[in-house]
Amino acid sequence: MKFHIIAAKDLKVVLRDQNALLMMFLVPMLIISVSGLALGGNFEQNIRISVLVVDLDNDEVSRGLVEFLEEIDILDVDMESNEFAARDRVKEQEYGRLIIIPVGFTEYVMTGQDTELLIIVSPTEESSNTVLEKIVEGYASRISTNVVVVKTASAYGIPAHTEEQILEIVDTAEQFVQPPPVDVVIESTTSNRVEYSAFTQYVPGFAVMFLMFTTVQIGSISLIKEHEAGTLRRLVTAPISKAEIIGGKIASTFIRGFVQLTVLMYFGHVVFDLDLGSDILALFVLIAAVTMASTGLGVLVAVMVKTTDQADSLSLLLVMIMSAVGGSWWPLSVEPQFMQDMAHFTITAWAMDGFYDLLYFDLGLAGILEEVKWLVLMMIIFFGIAIRRFKFE
Amino acid sequence: MAVNSDIIITVENLVKRYNGHNAVDGVSFEINRGEIFGLLGPNGAGKSTIISILCCLLEPNLGSVIIDGYDIQKNANNIKKIIGVVPQEISLYHTLTARENLAFYGKIYGLSGRVLKTRIEALLDMAGLTDRADDLLEGYSGGMKRRINIAVALLHEPRILYLDEPTTGVDPQSRRRIYDTIQDLNRQGMTVLLTTHQMEDAEKLCHRIAIMDKGKLIALDTQKGLIELVGESDLIHVLAPEILPGPVESIKRMPGVQKVSLDEGNMTVQLVRGRESLVGIIDILTSSGTQVESIYIKEPDLETLFLHLTGTSLRG
Repeated sequence: MKFHIIAAKDLKVVLRDQNALLMMFLVPMLIISVSGLALGGNFEQNIRISVLVVDLDNDEVSRGLVEFLEEIDILDVDMESNEFAARDRVKEQEYGRLIIIPVGFTEYVMTGQDTELLIIVSPTEESSNTVLEKIVEGYASRISTNVVVVKTASAYGIPAHTEEQILEIVDTAEQFVQPPPVDVVIESTTSNRVEYSAFTQYVPGFAVMFLMFTTVQIGSISLIKEHEAGTLRRLVTAPISKAEIIGGKIASTFIRGFVQLTVLMYFGHVVFDLDLGSDILALFVLIAAVTMASTGLGVLVAVMVKTTDQADSLSLLLVMIMSAVGGSWWPLSVEPQFMQDMAHFTITAWAMDGFYDLLYFDLGLAGILEEVKWLVLMMIIFFGIAIRRFKFE
Repeated sequence: MAVNSDIIITVENLVKRYNGHNAVDGVSFEINRGEIFGLLGPNGAGKSTIISILCCLLEPNLGSVIIDGYDIQKNANNIKKIIGVVPQEISLYHTLTARENLAFYGKIYGLSGRVLKTRIEALLDMAGLTDRADDLLEGYSGGMKRRINIAVALLHEPRILYLDEPTTGVDPQSRRRIYDTIQDLNRQGMTVLLTTHQMEDAEKLCHRIAIMDKGKLIALDTQKGLIELVGESDLIHVLAPEILPGPVESIKRMPGVQKVSLDEGNMTVQLVRGRESLVGIIDILTSSGTQVESIYIKEPDLETLFLHLTGTSLRG
């Protein structure tokens, strides 16, 4: 096998090219640093949810709800006694969310009657609203248990009119569910994680974008240059197979991309304290999968165009679109659902999902299998089409 | 020089089609071992396509090629080991040094260690570039790059060397050096096949010349044999800003004139006893108001032959 000779030659050519090295390492490091430091504040604000609460009941269960909300880290809870004033403050966008606890809320819950909690939200902050709704629904589900217990007791003729009677019944019911007959264990995936920061987004985001420049743009141009210079033709007249020639070109692009992505992730770790997760093997598997898929795309671009200028333009377009849609520049979660669905036709989206799984949720190798599966599938499709269409003449 | 009578390349009824057009149209020839064989013809005649087929880069639509006993369609890998190819363009890596380029291609041909090192030094010496061996190619002149381009093809000591337009864009000094190199290699027993549209290359180097036009082989012989086909004809070349149809027709009617070709301000007249008719041609041109910039007469040569065979100038 002689493909390593071609790969070694290509790497030597790149190491001599100072502009290529700047684009591979220094430029992305600068952009990661500037973006992370400049926009870090936005990210921290984004995960704080301010909420205004009007407690018209001001009784045991309603006060319990307020205490519950105040204990949640990401919520900033402020109280307002006047419902109309509270509604105005939401209308004026002073607050994005308002919870109104109705009069008699505690009594309704304790006597097993239906009641409701009203949440008024501003439509502009959809993701924060969803988080708040889930929190309040979770609490409502807990206190609904009381209502069910009391209603069940009444249905069997057990009197539950006074508070003592209700508490007695609920206590009795709780004895049967401690421990619960069906135990659901919820393990927090983020329990050991560092705080989410701008660098959790920007280090992998820009690293993947610049990886694309290396593998898709420079990779495709390198192949077309061999065509234009006649060196590819010369290689084909030598006793070396076409598979070895193309294998050598792919190997050199892959090695460049793999080293680049690894160095940029390590840069984030050392300089900005980015946690790379506890499973380094999984991180390397993900880096390899992302690099292979984007190397495949580079070869595909090379067979779709005829000149280096065309490769340059098409690659730039593809990298920019994939970076924007796929979540290199902002978290995928801020995009509307249909955009998120479309994004998963790109390498970037699967790469970013994988990096979030490792860097933020610390899910390890098992957690990134889905992403790796799709990246490998993309790689197979890209190489499959490209190698069929590749012309050596 | 002694030419071995063994045949090393046999091309039979070769056809290569592109988009319904025959780039090579039923070409047959044989090349003797130790011979310098030239394919001469204008651009687009099909020479480079034939070289591409003989390099195993292209497959023919029809016909067969046997190279030193190997069929190109069955034994491409064996053929690639015994041929050296010098492409028309400088097929080298300009951000590597000459030594690095030679080392890279040497490894591709399976050379390594001391053998590779010895070959590199010998070829750098042959190219006269030992003292520049560790400079990046991007700092080389066109002629120096072309010498390394040839050296790369010789790394594995091939039995047959293909040169595709080896002197295109080369200064006279480098051209002379390339001629010397090719003749030295041939003296060492190497068979050489070169394509060219430059008459001088064919005349100075080739033992036999095949003349091609529009995909067909129209003549094949030694230079002497080919020129004898023309007979006693001379060529008169006229250069003028504009030559009108009237005087051209008058010249065609002159006694002894065989063919006249006109390419904008370039007129070539093939005729017998050219010296006797020269004054008459000048008279016709000047009396018609043609501003003649230059006029000269040539003895019969390959260009005369090409005009004789095709009715067009080789340079056209």
